[in-house]
Amino acid sequence: MSVQSPGPLSSHEYDGIREYDNPTPGWWYAILTATVVFSAVYFVFWHASVAGWSIHDSWEDDQRAEYARIFGAVGQLKPDEASILAQMGNPKFMNIARATFIGNCASCHARDGGGDVGVNLCDESYKNVVKIEDLFRVITDGANGGAMPSWKNRLSDNERVILASYVASLRGTTPARAKAPEGQPIPPWPRPAAPVATPPAPK
Amino acid sequence: MSPSLTAESGVRTPADVPLGPTLRVVMETFVYDDAIVRKFVCATVVWGLVAFLVGLIVALELVVPSIVNYTTAAGTRPFGFLSFLVGTEFLTFGRLRPLHTNAAIFAFAGNSVFAAVYYSTQRLCKARMWSDVLSRLHFWGWQLIIVCAAVTLPLGFTQGKEYAELEWPIDLLIAVVWLGFFGTNFFMTLARRRERHMYVALWFYIATIVTVTLLHVFNSMAIPAGWLKSYSVYAGVQDAMMQWWYGHNAVAFFLTTPFLGMMYYFMPKAAERPVYSYRLSIVHFWSLIFVYIWAGPHHLHYTALPAWASTLGMLFSIMLWMPSWGGGINGLLTLRGAWHKVTDDPVLKFFVAGVTFYMMSTFEGPMLSIKSVNMLSHYTDWTIAHVHSGALGWNGLMTFGMIYWLSPRLFQARLHSRKLAEWHFWLGTLGILLYVVPIYVAGITQGLMWRAFDQTGNLQFPDFVETVVRLMPFYWSRIVGGTLFLAGAVLMTYNVARTWMARPGTYEEPVQSAPALTPAKFERPKFVSRLTANVEVGHRGDVWLQSFFDGWWHRAWERTPSKFILWAIVAVVSGSVLEVVPMFVIRSNVPSIASVQPYTPLELAGRDIYVAEGCYNCHSQMIRPIWAETKRYGEYSKPGEFVYDHPFQWGSRRIGPDLAREGGQKSNLWHVLHLQDPRQSVEQSIMPAYAHLLEQPLDFDAIQRHVRAQAMIGVPYGEAVKEGKAAAMAREQAETIAADIAKADGPKGLEGKKVVALIAYLQRLGTDISRPPPPSPSPSPPAALAPSSGSRRPS
Repeated sequence: MSVQSPGPLSSHEYDGIREYDNPTPGWWYAILTATVVFSAVYFVFWHASVAGWSIHDSWEDDQRAEYARIFGAVGQLKPDEASILAQMGNPKFMNIARATFIGNCASCHARDGGGDVGVNLCDESYKNVVKIEDLFRVITDGANGGAMPSWKNRLSDNERVILASYVASLRGTTPARAKAPEGQPIPPWPRPAAPVATPPAPK
Repeated sequence: MSPSLTAESGVRTPADVPLGPTLRVVMETFVYDDAIVRKFVCATVVWGLVAFLVGLIVALELVVPSIVNYTTAAGTRPFGFLSFLVGTEFLTFGRLRPLHTNAAIFAFAGNSVFAAVYYSTQRLCKARMWSDVLSRLHFWGWQLIIVCAAVTLPLGFTQGKEYAELEWPIDLLIAVVWLGFFGTNFFMTLARRRERHMYVALWFYIATIVTVTLLHVFNSMAIPAGWLKSYSVYAGVQDAMMQWWYGHNAVAFFLTTPFLGMMYYFMPKAAERPVYSYRLSIVHFWSLIFVYIWAGPHHLHYTALPAWASTLGMLFSIMLWMPSWGGGINGLLTLRGAWHKVTDDPVLKFFVAGVTFYMMSTFEGPMLSIKSVNMLSHYTDWTIAHVHSGALGWNGLMTFGMIYWLSPRLFQARLHSRKLAEWHFWLGTLGILLYVVPIYVAGITQGLMWRAFDQTGNLQFPDFVETVVRLMPFYWSRIVGGTLFLAGAVLMTYNVARTWMARPGTYEEPVQSAPALTPAKFERPKFVSRLTANVEVGHRGDVWLQSFFDGWWHRAWERTPSKFILWAIVAVVSGSVLEVVPMFVIRSNVPSIASVQPYTPLELAGRDIYVAEGCYNCHSQMIRPIWAETKRYGEYSKPGEFVYDHPFQWGSRRIGPDLAREGGQKSNLWHVLHLQDPRQSVEQSIMPAYAHLLEQPLDFDAIQRHVRAQAMIGVPYGEAVKEGKAAAMAREQAETIAADIAKADGPKGLEGKKVVALIAYLQRLGTDISRPPPPSPSPSPPAALAPSSGSRRPS
């Protein structure tokens, strides 16, 4: 076995395998030490000092910021006829409600509201709704013995109001695949009392 | 073969004392047992093919659903015949994926490790394995375990914990074969060795055997509820902690340490070069085994695991970077002055690429464990790409290199074709790259899509399936890569088989000789203080420091396996105890929630189905406190919600959406139709069909047994443990659900079928937290649990 590279050989030999007595590279120790020091500082900062915060704190900040951004200017929306009708004309809210609908309702009612396991929301017939505010009630409490679940614990009051508006706005649209009407035809939604209330300021 | 224990050249460490002229040297003769190594090599080759093939099948199962319904203009469905892959209960992804991982880890890598250990240990100890009987029992016992796994996993018998799926009788068999046969045989061989000092490869083997025993025993603690059914004794957060302590250290002590041992033996052998640094091998060995054991919680960042544990997991992972790389640089630097050999020798090519993949994975691992990186990568394919660069690149290529090196020696014939081995190398390496690179992209793509918001502050991709469809091109590329990797393994099989066919009529068994170990006193080197000032403490300190950094004490340990084993145990147990025990004894780690109640008997039966079908392989049940995630799935998961989850089912990958708050989100009928054929509900879904659940009867009589087993591990089942009570309760609930489905014009007569149990469970998931707490004798429930504050959504 020829030895070409520098470095002293140790006397060890096992089944013909020999070992150099080279020192451990300095950078190896340097990086190891750096990771140990970093770890100590990190642990103390996040778990033993007042400066650290938790992921739950950040989540709550996000929540406050988000809520303020969306509903900050309007405060609490009322789940009544006037308010639900008014929000139908608010494009910002309808966009938000549309995403809520796709994330939570589309699996049963189809993305465009044409109905699947759940009822068709685009036609003129309704099972548990007579007046527009019934939409809010059904979303909130559910219907048909839980086949339509209750969203009280999953969506905030405001979210459910604008969702009711969004669902109301689906009426009369043409879905890709329309489920046969269920329930009874009901009178058209009332017209909004006044032009849409001043849209909330962007902030 | 050099019987001499004396130094031949170079620098002697003070520890090496030449045998004095007065000592009589007794020469002993012995023969190595290579037949057992041949057996393990053959098993490695065969199980390798199986593991890679099943991997390819599960990869195919993720793309097949997107093409089975493809209809040509003529109205035919050219890929329709593939629908058996996603509609046969024994072949679903959820059941085959555990088979793939178990086959790859325990069958392929396991047999490869055993081949390496049996070949090298005998030579490093200058001794035949202690017992041929134990060697054979080990071999056949291990193959029996693998066959049991291959039968039980597709049948749905599983403990529902990743890489620890096998049911309790098989677990017992593993413990016996691993420690009783393998461990005993190995340690007795060490005891009977004729080489004074243990070489670094043996240190790694020791750490492997000791630690895998601990991991397996403690993680698999379960209470049987039948011959092939059991429940983990741990629940929820604690079960998660145990599982990932096990899961991460299975990577450490089943796929890393024994392979480092393999590298330390076969790499210098193949390169015919001395190992780069003995000192480095000492520091990286001890730092590796001590630090590794802590790193498990990095699999649970931002889950309901307490933050301190998650932080420890991250920090120890970062500190693990250099200890891991120590092995890599010692391997690669061993090739100093021999790089020209790499161009000629396929064996060295495999080793070099293998070690390179090792160094990439062990850099990537610490990086992925950083919380903010993990926030993106967790639950995505990034993890899948990471483990495959480790498993295919490090474990696979090292194994192939070893097999090509061993084959001519074991079969005593020239390797059939060097050229085919070269082809294998390039096919394998290209295959790995075509696998991992697109899967990295897939992981990052999906992770970014999950967290993407549009200008209105809504999720940009609220529909989960949108984020799945986007991955299909990458999944196809993975199939190409996997096929190439498998093709390489087929070439190797052919090459090894042809080499075997050229073997001599009878194998030569050269007789070895070496002097028996005689008691020889270890001479401690003397150190003299270098300090001039006359302070006793200073002198002592200096002597101690010189002594420590001289390393003579380690040389002494290497002569005494018992001492070495003891210190290895101390290294791995200390971290385990310090990290795991507080999770069990400090109550604040899992604040209880009064409204969280045990599953009803029917829901428990449904949970058993969920576990048996391996739903956790694609669905997580853990919503992290991240805005994008609570927006998509609802309120984030709390530790107290899982106290009755034996085993926990948090999952590690979201091929489908999270189910932690699935309860109440969809109607019972929707679930029936979706399970029957997911594509009739979600057109682009890649979930397998579970139509068999609508047909198979639910075993109501077994429910009593299961409820009792749960009660034994502390789930307060009350009345339900009484004979016949659980089944009656389950029937009642099943009838209610079946009636609801029938009323909604769904299929009728489901009250006795498995599907109602599964639906009962799914409808329960994540709902307890928003229920009013049950009436209790205490006058008022804690304020934090009042229903109004149960939900943290804005209201």
